[in-house]
Amino acid sequence: MAASDVVFRVKRYRPESGGRPTFQEYTIPYRNDMVVLDGLNYIKDHIDPTLTFRWSCRMGICGSCGADVNGQPRLTCGTYIRDVHKGAVTVEPLSNFPILKDLVVDFDDFLRKLASVTPYIVRKDWGDLTKEYVQYPEDVEAYRQQSLCINCMLCYAACPVFGSSPEFVGPAASALALRYNRDTRDEGADARLARLNTRTGVWECTFVGECSVVCPKDVDPAAAIQTLKFLATMRHMRRLLMPGSSSR
Amino acid sequence: MPMTGREYAWKRRPGWWLRNRRYLMFQLREAGGVVCALYGLVLLNMLVQLRAGESAYTAFLDLLRTPPVLYLNVVLFALVVWHALTWFMLIGKAQPIQFTRQPLPWKVVFGINVLLWLGVSGAVVYLIFGGI
Repeated sequence: MAASDVVFRVKRYRPESGGRPTFQEYTIPYRNDMVVLDGLNYIKDHIDPTLTFRWSCRMGICGSCGADVNGQPRLTCGTYIRDVHKGAVTVEPLSNFPILKDLVVDFDDFLRKLASVTPYIVRKDWGDLTKEYVQYPEDVEAYRQQSLCINCMLCYAACPVFGSSPEFVGPAASALALRYNRDTRDEGADARLARLNTRTGVWECTFVGECSVVCPKDVDPAAAIQTLKFLATMRHMRRLLMPGSSSR
Repeated sequence: MPMTGREYAWKRRPGWWLRNRRYLMFQLREAGGVVCALYGLVLLNMLVQLRAGESAYTAFLDLLRTPPVLYLNVVLFALVVWHALTWFMLIGKAQPIQFTRQPLPWKVVFGINVLLWLGVSGAVVYLIFGGI
């Protein structure tokens, strides 16, 4: 191995042959400016074309290339090899998700949960669609942080609660629910809070906080969930004390 | 979650909470919560012994003064303090109620909570012992 080489230990799972996932080692040349995704692409292009992983934008926007790098969920496009290179770089599929092949995991469960919180603007009456729904900078600022979520699922991979209770709605879906609940154009807050105020909703969260640590966009889903707990409680009390009150 | 036949079900490794320091701190926080509840039972038992009479109460206090129980109390106290401190840290990170236009830095909220905690604890000590 040359001085400028690095060893990648990549977890492989071959569904066609069954069995358990195993590690495979690859030695690749590396430069100081290479990210982990560059290393994976080098392996695929020059050593082993059967290695399977997701990626797209290479700039931390699409959220496709998440993997556990040296045991921590990271975007492989945003992780420099020089920062994680301690003898070897270990790359595994994101924790807490079923593995489809190699580093590719099944996100269907997350997509169902995301759909359950209606992650889009809900209105009872859209009225005149040619009209502009004006928002001031402070209105945008109210939900800007949560709107940065790219659905990369690193937060789910870091969440031990989701690992032990897979029915938990989870960090990203909760953060996006808060994003739309804070949008002045939206009228679906009551239904979202009803969904999140269930056994599988935000109350499952025990505030480990790791979701916010690993989030590459500083969305802070842990804080979003605690805010939703407060809002769900307020909604519950309002319905208890003032049954005829309006939704928001 | 439902899976297709060829998917490999993810399994959590034993000792997952040793994977990083934050998981370990979280587990200690949760353990501190259990300890709080168990220590409440000890205090309840103290009331039961008090009701049972002077000799029973004195015997119970003597038991609490034995070295193993004292050492145990030190460990339990450390866990309870850790539980309280970590919750004060979390309050600052979540801030469901904002009193200012921008969220306060979490360290400020943490400091306020610790000061309030010390103040209330001091007041309780003063009420019980009339000063230390």
